[in-house]
Amino acid sequence: MASVRTYAIIYVVLLALGTGKFIFFTFDDIFTYEMAMGGTMVLAVIKSLLIAGYYQHLIEEPRSITYMMSIAVFMVFLLTIAAGYSIQ
Amino acid sequence: MGDLPPRRSVKRWLVTTNHKDVGILYLATAIAFLLIGGLLALLFRLHLLEPGGTGLLTGDEYNQYVTSHGLLMVFWFLSPFAFGFANYFVPLQIGAKDLAFPRLNAMSYWFYLLSGVLAVSAFFLGGSFAGGWTLYAPLNVPTYTPAMEATTGSNATVFGLLMFVISVTMGTVNFMTTIHRHRAEGMGLWNMPLFTWSILLTVWMMLFAFAALLAALLLLGADRVFLTQYFATDQGSGLLWAHLFWFFGHPEVYIVFFPALGIMFEAFQTFCGRRLVGRKWVIIAMVLVAVQSFLVWMHHMFLTTINLEIKTLTMATTIGISLPFDLMVFALIYTMVKGRVRFTTPFLYSLGALVLFILGGITGVFLGAIVLDYEFRGTYWVVAHFHYVMVSGVTALIGGLYYWWPKMTGRMYSEFLGKLSFAVYFIGFNLVYFPMFLAWETPRRVFHYSGDMTLWHQLSTVGAFVLGLSVLMVIATLAHSLRYGAIAPDNPWEYSRTAEWAISSPPPLDNWDGRASYASGSLEFVPDTPATDGGAVADGGTATAEAAHAGQEERHPDHASIWPFVIGVGTFVFFLGLSGLTPIVVELIQPYYPADGPVITVAGEISYLYPAITVLGIAILGVSLFKMGVEDFYVPEPRVAERWPFGGDLDDTKMGVWVFLASDVVVFGAAIGAYVFLRLHEGWASFDPIPFAAWPGLLNTYILLTSSFTVIMALVMAERGNKRGLLGFLGATMALGLAFMGVKAFEYGVKFSQGEFWFTGLEYTLYFVTTGLHALHVIIGLLIAAFMIYRIVSIDAYLEDERPVEFFGLYWHFVDIVWVFLFPIFYLM
Repeated sequence: MASVRTYAIIYVVLLALGTGKFIFFTFDDIFTYEMAMGGTMVLAVIKSLLIAGYYQHLIEEPRSITYMMSIAVFMVFLLTIAAGYSIQ
Repeated sequence: MGDLPPRRSVKRWLVTTNHKDVGILYLATAIAFLLIGGLLALLFRLHLLEPGGTGLLTGDEYNQYVTSHGLLMVFWFLSPFAFGFANYFVPLQIGAKDLAFPRLNAMSYWFYLLSGVLAVSAFFLGGSFAGGWTLYAPLNVPTYTPAMEATTGSNATVFGLLMFVISVTMGTVNFMTTIHRHRAEGMGLWNMPLFTWSILLTVWMMLFAFAALLAALLLLGADRVFLTQYFATDQGSGLLWAHLFWFFGHPEVYIVFFPALGIMFEAFQTFCGRRLVGRKWVIIAMVLVAVQSFLVWMHHMFLTTINLEIKTLTMATTIGISLPFDLMVFALIYTMVKGRVRFTTPFLYSLGALVLFILGGITGVFLGAIVLDYEFRGTYWVVAHFHYVMVSGVTALIGGLYYWWPKMTGRMYSEFLGKLSFAVYFIGFNLVYFPMFLAWETPRRVFHYSGDMTLWHQLSTVGAFVLGLSVLMVIATLAHSLRYGAIAPDNPWEYSRTAEWAISSPPPLDNWDGRASYASGSLEFVPDTPATDGGAVADGGTATAEAAHAGQEERHPDHASIWPFVIGVGTFVFFLGLSGLTPIVVELIQPYYPADGPVITVAGEISYLYPAITVLGIAILGVSLFKMGVEDFYVPEPRVAERWPFGGDLDDTKMGVWVFLASDVVVFGAAIGAYVFLRLHEGWASFDPIPFAAWPGLLNTYILLTSSFTVIMALVMAERGNKRGLLGFLGATMALGLAFMGVKAFEYGVKFSQGEFWFTGLEYTLYFVTTGLHALHVIIGLLIAAFMIYRIVSIDAYLEDERPVEFFGLYWHFVDIVWVFLFPIFYLM
């Protein structure tokens, strides 16, 4: 387990990243829709990794748990991307 | 409750959590569903004696019977029959005392039984679902299809299936944890018996495949009860259902067949008197099939409007998946060639299964080719092919029943009667299904066919009765054995090689004294003390010696709890009530329903009994879940076990939670995937955010992130033994969760006040259902948090063992991660 200080720092970073997503779409004179969408997804992935890695302590668990969860995420992408591509 | 009544007591079977008892319950129940599904088949085969039907059934009855036959056989007979064996023998084969979560195992069984009761009761609730076992859209929704009105009965079919999938999810968590973490010392993965290997790979496939089906059924349930529009749009819905269903459906073929394959491997080894030829390659081939099974689902969609590129790719992957099967088939044949075959009843069934599977496999390759599929799709060729594959699996499973019968009952069966049953079975099988190849031009699912195919259909009907007779002969043979069979020795088969044959027939309640160990290279039962050899293992795994549960070493494991049964009853009552809500919902929403929305053809009568039943179900669930939560039920984790690759600091419950979360990732992912798919189909830019503003989403983001921080702080407090801190942070988490729900209610309320609801349009459906599913997770989390606070206040819980706080945190953080994606998708994009 990490220290309370680490948890607190991650919490502040998470709040900042969450706000970042909002900003991307609010200042649409600076960010195009595509830029905002891409940036938002990057921030969302970073947030998820921080929560999973440090709050759920995935980094301290056997690597096999990470692989299992990665397979689950892969399945979601496989289904979504393949289905989406199939109607292009 | 810990004492287990004797087997002659009815109470025993209501409270048991022992894996062997649960295995027997699964087997008996599956056979009951086989008989019901078989009876339906006999009825519609009789109707098919003449082109256009004999008049025995009405058109709608025919549709209902064909649909229910498919559903019952695939879901309530085949897999559960295999998992009866898995329940009984996997713990024995790996040297475990029981499954990792015995109460969850019992609950899984009760959900299975009662889900089947719900599905069958559909016939008495206005009519069962009649749109085919694949539940294709738009036949699966109450709009557009007057014949498929959302009667209580057809809703009950769908919710029965939903409840069944919940049962499967619980079973998956249990078997994943057990096989990965309860293997006897010295039993590396490579050394696992092949039946256990087949179950391990089956549950890995189930983990991801059934989660997709669960998502599909949740969305379908919303469509049927709340009139959302996932599967009711004129464009996209049919493809969405096909993608979700077949992403599950194709792996399901192997989920059904792998356990049968495992039994064939065991039987071939035992009755050929030698180890399976190419054993390691066979395992690798099975792993390959499990992986590839998720890459071929669109070959079920060649006749849809998906593009040619993806069809071609899928054709290639489909041909690819047949290659590992070739290896397995040749391994079985070569094992016979290299061994000396003993033609016992179980071997005959296994050999028969191999022959039938080869035929089923070859005829399936035709369907994997796009051009041929254009011709064969929707004909009896498909019916014949998949029955040859699926029922070849049944053939092997019946072989398994004979193979393990002496172990389960302590009685030998009559070889003569067994072989006679096989002869009738094999003839009946080919008589019912082979003529379907010859009558292949008959369209599926209808009883009108060309007159020149009458002979083939009549032969098929005769064959169905012969096959039915053979099933009765199997049951009679085994009943005869129970009464007149000779006492079975521990090991009636000379060359059997797995651990279940090393103990008495039937095995004692706790399987054996001490613990099983393969540390010396062969099976031994040693005192239950930590490993003495440092835990060296064959496959690079780790054997751990844990001094867990100090002070509880003398305590006997519990085997009885009534609460899994009661929770099953509560869930059954809840879904039964839910099944009858549609007419009431239609009545309520009628004034707000858009004039240009999908046409509602529901004609069901309003009955306020159903809301009352729903509330009763929730009440039963609430009480029974609480009671099980506070029940003192002792399940020891093995102190010495092979746990690679899930060892380290994990414990069983934490691994179980992670497996559940992996499943939930796919459930939510499929729901989000449905959003992406339908938005792409409509045109990405055609959607605008539905919420009245983005700020409620941002506010809820802050709230949930803060609650994630308070949960982690609660864990810190629990580790420090700080009761006030623990209570404070858990209470704060609850308060934040309630605040989240408050913001959500406000947000929904604004939309409602503007006359916009979940049925207003497709994008509204997507927003309300996906965020609603997330809100449901938050509510469940709040209930868990409330229970934990109660336990802290009442018995100072979690101060000495903080792990439950961590497990709760894993769930809560997951809910937070889902929101990380929902916020931008629904509020910003």
